[in-house]
Amino acid sequence: MEPRYGKTQELLYELKIEQVMRTDVVTIASDATMSELREILREHSISGVPVVDGDELVGLASIEDLIRWLSSREPDCAVHEQMTRDPECLHADQPLVHALRRFDESGFGRFPIVERASGRMVGILTKGGIIEGVLRKLEREFKEEEIRAYRVSHIFEDLLADYKEIYLTYNVPGKDFDRAGSASTRMKRNLKRLGIRPDIIHRLAIASYEAEMNVVIYTDGGTMEYRISPHEVILRVRDRGPGISDVEEALRPGWSTAEPWVRDLGFGAGMGLPNIKKCADKLEIDSHPGRGTTLKMRIFTGEADEAQ
Amino acid sequence: MKLKEVVELLGADLAFGTDSQLAEEVQTAAASDLMSDILARVDVPELLLTRLNNSQVMRTSAVFGIKAVVIVRGRAVDEKMIEIAQEEEIVLLTTPASLFESCGKLYAQGLRSAQPSTDSSRS
Ligand SMILES: Nc1ncnc2c1ncn2[C@@H]1O[C@H](COP(=O)(O)OP(=O)(O)OP(=O)(O)O)[C@@H](O)[C@H]1O
Ligand SMILES: [Mg+2]
Repeated sequence: MEPRYGKTQELLYELKIEQVMRTDVVTIASDATMSELREILREHSISGVPVVDGDELVGLASIEDLIRWLSSREPDCAVHEQMTRDPECLHADQPLVHALRRFDESGFGRFPIVERASGRMVGILTKGGIIEGVLRKLEREFKEEEIRAYRVSHIFEDLLADYKEIYLTYNVPGKDFDRAGSASTRMKRNLKRLGIRPDIIHRLAIASYEAEMNVVIYTDGGTMEYRISPHEVILRVRDRGPGISDVEEALRPGWSTAEPWVRDLGFGAGMGLPNIKKCADKLEIDSHPGRGTTLKMRIFTGEADEAQ
Repeated sequence: MKLKEVVELLGADLAFGTDSQLAEEVQTAAASDLMSDILARVDVPELLLTRLNNSQVMRTSAVFGIKAVVIVRGRAVDEKMIEIAQEEEIVLLTTPASLFESCGKLYAQGLRSAQPSTDSSRS
């Protein structure tokens, strides 16, 4: 199987060459001399420049060409005599990962970048440029995520009202095992952004997931409603399933009516409801055979744990 | 031991995992095929070994905060599992080794179980 890669590799696919290339390209005329090349490289502290004939790109002159010329002790000559002719160019709209591959395969230090339609040179790309571009982008994304987390964790402080509450609902389709649990994992992410204490998020996520799985497994679907206020989270899980005939019994560890196909999926230990009870500070179960079940759990989020 | 050492030790295939994830240390593990049994534990194991290969293994791991999942007996992982692994930043490995063998090797290298469930409820 193909391994999957993480964020950095993803960026290399996502970013286009034009997003990281240098556009303020320093060039040299093909009839300039090698000593002029040396001055240009020194002045801009760069290791190579495209060689142009008017508007047309005709070659690349690099520090290696300069060294070769210096060590040959030949008299000063025109750059076009020493340059690399017909250099390989890359297109501005290609993904960065392609450029990286070409750097690796060719061993070249830089590529002129041309616009695909016109063939006009629009920039230059070096390995250093790639690193800088990727770092810039990573930093930007990191900051955005931080700012977002900061904003939400201050929502309650920033909003002025006598009573504040965030209300989020999720639909839980029955028997859809690809999506099963996604309401709880999405909610877990929201709770992190809201700046809720990690141990409380942990309990909420477990209780929420166990309840969600019961809806998926035993019913044709239902809803999950979260009410998040400054000191508590209330979660209501409603379904229109078969109901639980004896709630007290169902709360006993190990009690389960799960069929073999449920056990094959890794459920049916009869631990879900007891686990929810353990995680929630308050749990109410309202179930009517034939009409459905509603679980209401409360978890306190205040600094002083009000459940104690 | 580092996760990349776990990969080598178990002769595992990497279905998902970034370099920085693989450089992370793990010290605790648990083996189970029952999702609620995992979720009832007091401590969160860093590594989960299981014979199950379905999306629920990944969701359960995401909910519980498990770093890496090892599917034993060479069972295939599907696209959905990889997708969740990526989304939730969980390392996903498959090994041809059996559950018993995998646990034994990891134990011999110093990995220990996270504290299993207790019956006393939170008070
Ligand atoms: N929403 C529901 N609708 C109908 N019956 C339910 C519902 N939730 C739970 N039950 C019943 O209560 C029993 C116990 O549920 P619980 O979640 O504790 O265990 P389980 O789902 O059987 O196994 P586990 O949760 O450990 O995978 C279930 O087997 C089922 O019969
Ligand atoms: Mg259950």
